[in-house]
Amino acid sequence: MTTAAPPRNRGRDRMAVALWLAAIAAALVVAWRAHYVADLSAFLPSAPTPEQAVLLDQLRSGATSRLVLIGIEGGPVGGDPDAAAAARAQASSRLAAALRASGRFASVHNGETSAWADAGKFVFAHRYLLSPAVDAERFSVAGLRDAIEQTVGLLGTPAGTLLKPILFRDPTGETLRIAEALTPARAPKVEHGVWVSRSAPRAVLVATTLADGADLDGQERALDAIDAASTAALSPGLGVVVSGAGRFAVESRARIKSEVERLAVLGSIAIVALLWLAFASLRALAVALLPVATGVVAGIAAVQLGFGQVHGMTLGFGTTLIGEAVDYAIYYLIQSRGAGAGQWRRESWPTVRLGLFTSLIGFAALVFTGFPGLAQLGVFSIAGLVAAAATTRFVFPVLVPEGAPGAGFRVRLAAAMRAAAAVLPRWRAGVAALAIASLAVVLLAPSPWRGELSALSPVSANELARDAALRADVGAADAGTLVAVAGNDEQGALAAAEAVDARLDALVADGVVVGYDSPARLLPPAKTQERRRAALPDEKTLRDRLAESTSGGPIAASRLEPFVADVGTARAQPPVTRAALAATPLAAAVDALLLPGDATRPWRALVNLHGRDGQAIDAARVRGAIVDVPGARIVAIKAELDAIYARFVREAEWQAALGAGAVALLLAWQLRSARRLAALGVPIAAATLVVLAALTLAGSALGILHLVGLLLTVAIGSNYALFFDHLRERDSADADTLASLLLANLTTVASFGLLASSSIPVLHAVGVVVAPGALLCLVFSAAWLGRPQARIAA
Amino acid sequence: MPTARLPRPPSADRRRVVVALAALCADAIVSVRTANAAAFDLEALTALLARVRSGEATFVETRRIEMLDRTLTSSGRLSFKAPDVFVRETLKPRREKLAVDGNTLTTSIGERSRTLQLDASPEASVVVEAIRGTLTGNRAALERLFEPHVDGDAKSWTLELVPRDLRLRGQVASVRVAGRESTVREVRVLLADGDHSVMTIEPVAPGRAAP
Repeated sequence: MTTAAPPRNRGRDRMAVALWLAAIAAALVVAWRAHYVADLSAFLPSAPTPEQAVLLDQLRSGATSRLVLIGIEGGPVGGDPDAAAAARAQASSRLAAALRASGRFASVHNGETSAWADAGKFVFAHRYLLSPAVDAERFSVAGLRDAIEQTVGLLGTPAGTLLKPILFRDPTGETLRIAEALTPARAPKVEHGVWVSRSAPRAVLVATTLADGADLDGQERALDAIDAASTAALSPGLGVVVSGAGRFAVESRARIKSEVERLAVLGSIAIVALLWLAFASLRALAVALLPVATGVVAGIAAVQLGFGQVHGMTLGFGTTLIGEAVDYAIYYLIQSRGAGAGQWRRESWPTVRLGLFTSLIGFAALVFTGFPGLAQLGVFSIAGLVAAAATTRFVFPVLVPEGAPGAGFRVRLAAAMRAAAAVLPRWRAGVAALAIASLAVVLLAPSPWRGELSALSPVSANELARDAALRADVGAADAGTLVAVAGNDEQGALAAAEAVDARLDALVADGVVVGYDSPARLLPPAKTQERRRAALPDEKTLRDRLAESTSGGPIAASRLEPFVADVGTARAQPPVTRAALAATPLAAAVDALLLPGDATRPWRALVNLHGRDGQAIDAARVRGAIVDVPGARIVAIKAELDAIYARFVREAEWQAALGAGAVALLLAWQLRSARRLAALGVPIAAATLVVLAALTLAGSALGILHLVGLLLTVAIGSNYALFFDHLRERDSADADTLASLLLANLTTVASFGLLASSSIPVLHAVGVVVAPGALLCLVFSAAWLGRPQARIAA
Repeated sequence: MPTARLPRPPSADRRRVVVALAALCADAIVSVRTANAAAFDLEALTALLARVRSGEATFVETRRIEMLDRTLTSSGRLSFKAPDVFVRETLKPRREKLAVDGNTLTTSIGERSRTLQLDASPEASVVVEAIRGTLTGNRAALERLFEPHVDGDAKSWTLELVPRDLRLRGQVASVRVAGRESTVREVRVLLADGDHSVMTIEPVAPGRAAP
């Protein structure tokens, strides 16, 4: 029902242009108001299991993401090791003080006990609500005698030094019990009064930012504060190293920003230069960029509408859209010259459309990879390509019915392509041989598919090693094991954590775990606190029992009046709440382990397990112990991350296979010829194999994104094969079509080549596969599908 | 190497001074050697103690705490095994256990058990190392943490250990270990605030290493 012959339907033309303008205007509004982000969480996979959900929550905005690790290294020039250690310790003190004063950190710890003074006062004031030992038995005659004896037993040892000033107020040693629970089993080494590394001459500090992990501006301000404070605190010869998720995120954001700008500028220059070569006409250039601009705006708008935000990396990837979208304009502007829009629509559009569909299938696979960031890339490309193709198909016939003016170097491009097209088919055997050799390499060489989740992160191996070293220093190894519980509200989550704690105590006694950090220790559920308060006897009862329990003991009851008074005060104390903790360093510790819920997810409490040095925790024993706590799950972080990645690689393999299958089905349906389909498949398969073999031989570690790149190679490369097939079926190859093919290929190769030059692994991985893959697809298609002797119309 | 800075030949005067100095040095070295042979120093003491690879003993400890109305007494068992295992088990008046293995310190009171890393708690390591380091004859560990001073001879010696770190000296003023031959008999801990404890040790099963 196409109306090819003029006069054209002017009403419909006007309608097409009006619709196009309206759509651009709407998309521009959305794109203008879009929310642009550059954090890394988009490139963490979405979480399919509850264990993984907990983990990813933590990685995105949990305490892990707010932790900053600081190392002070070096020493004064010419100083001996001990003097250097002393200098580092002094610098650690000064730096910690400056950071605490900066107001950017919830807590700063460097091993100095003074940091706990505030927390100590708070704990002391609320000891009868917070101590796990408080119950009715503790305040019986026998219980009091026992507790006092135990406390007294510590006097005369260094541990007793701290007890002496509070002995008559806290003879049962509740403060000590709480302090014990708060002291981690794996604390850093202390030297000169501050934390130091066990493996290197280095003082270490741990800070928790006030800013949320996802608040990158806040993280950046905190890092600036560290820079400023260390300039002032460090004496000459000392240096500071800073690591942590916040730093990685801030640096990655800066890198993504500069990369996106670089890619956009270089991509635009490359495409404009190529178009100028092709047309040497400003008007043609302007027209050719219309579908590109439409595509980019539509892509941004679609991503914003679909995801509520646009990732910087999506924009970086978007430069490849420039290279692809401009192809449609090139095909049209060149191929419709002379023949006119009508003939182009009949002759070439079906092939372009088929190529569009295969590309769409390729990008559709991205949408379903399970990484929100990759899904954005997919949606962006799909929307962009459809918009660009639609602009070419419906708007160009109105704007430039006769194609593009200007010849530029196109004549030479055509000549070169014609020469190549005449020569290449003679190398058909060479292509086959190369493909077979590549197949052999792929089959025989050790598998290069050894990429890991961390390969997606733009953080370098050096930085990761430094991070691991600092984490080991402070006993905050991140690849640990934790138990996660959920509750409908804060109290529910805390109660569940408390239930887990009770079971873990038995494991600690058996030595299965060395210790654990639980939010219920820092902030017991209100019910527990009320129960403890109810166990406190009234003044008279307490006095009577004390008199009995201290008879013959080392402390006379008469000296314990301050204790009686404090218990009296505690009987009227309201339970400690999260809000009450807020002014103390304890708040940061609680926030690290208690994750607030909302309408969509429950409150979560995390109990962090400590194993023996260098030994894995027996997960089966822990699982067995907590089996009767509803909803309690054990999460082994490294294992879960590996499982997540393994699952996505498996899924990606299926998606790639499905995608490739879908491309083949589409082609089969369009071509309706097994012979043509098979012929078409050869150059594409050969190009894919050669790229894969080259990467294998180069020793690259391939991951999920290389797989995506291979699929895109198939999807995009099939466009060129289709055109050669089209030309062969028509038994002629006009110079213009050949020139347009070469030009379209060059723009694609240029844009993906730029991607390959990116320092961001996600972009590099796709670019390094697709750029050579697309070029080889064109060359191999010309060789395999072309005719040896030039029966080509000039 | 440039040859311009060869020393000038010494004058007769200078030669005399050099000879005199050399004689003095030689004298000093000789006198130190004789002193070494006669005196019983840390090297000799730790060598003596290191010959015992493991051992068990009972102890009785009294502590005098200024705040308390009476002296505290406790008793129990000690055991050690070179190079770095030490266990102190209190049986009376209540069961408590302190076990050190390398850098790991485990304390148990009743049902409760806690594990710490020794180097994370310098106060604890002072007291632990004073006893463990002495029992196992670990000279390096003793010199790293303390300024040691040995008195007496092999038959009856005392080892005075003062923490090097001033911060720690503010808590533990000194540890004084006394013994006969390769057996530790008494450990006195003096805290900076004047409180002190005396532990007397009675070996039960001395495990001697093969000669």
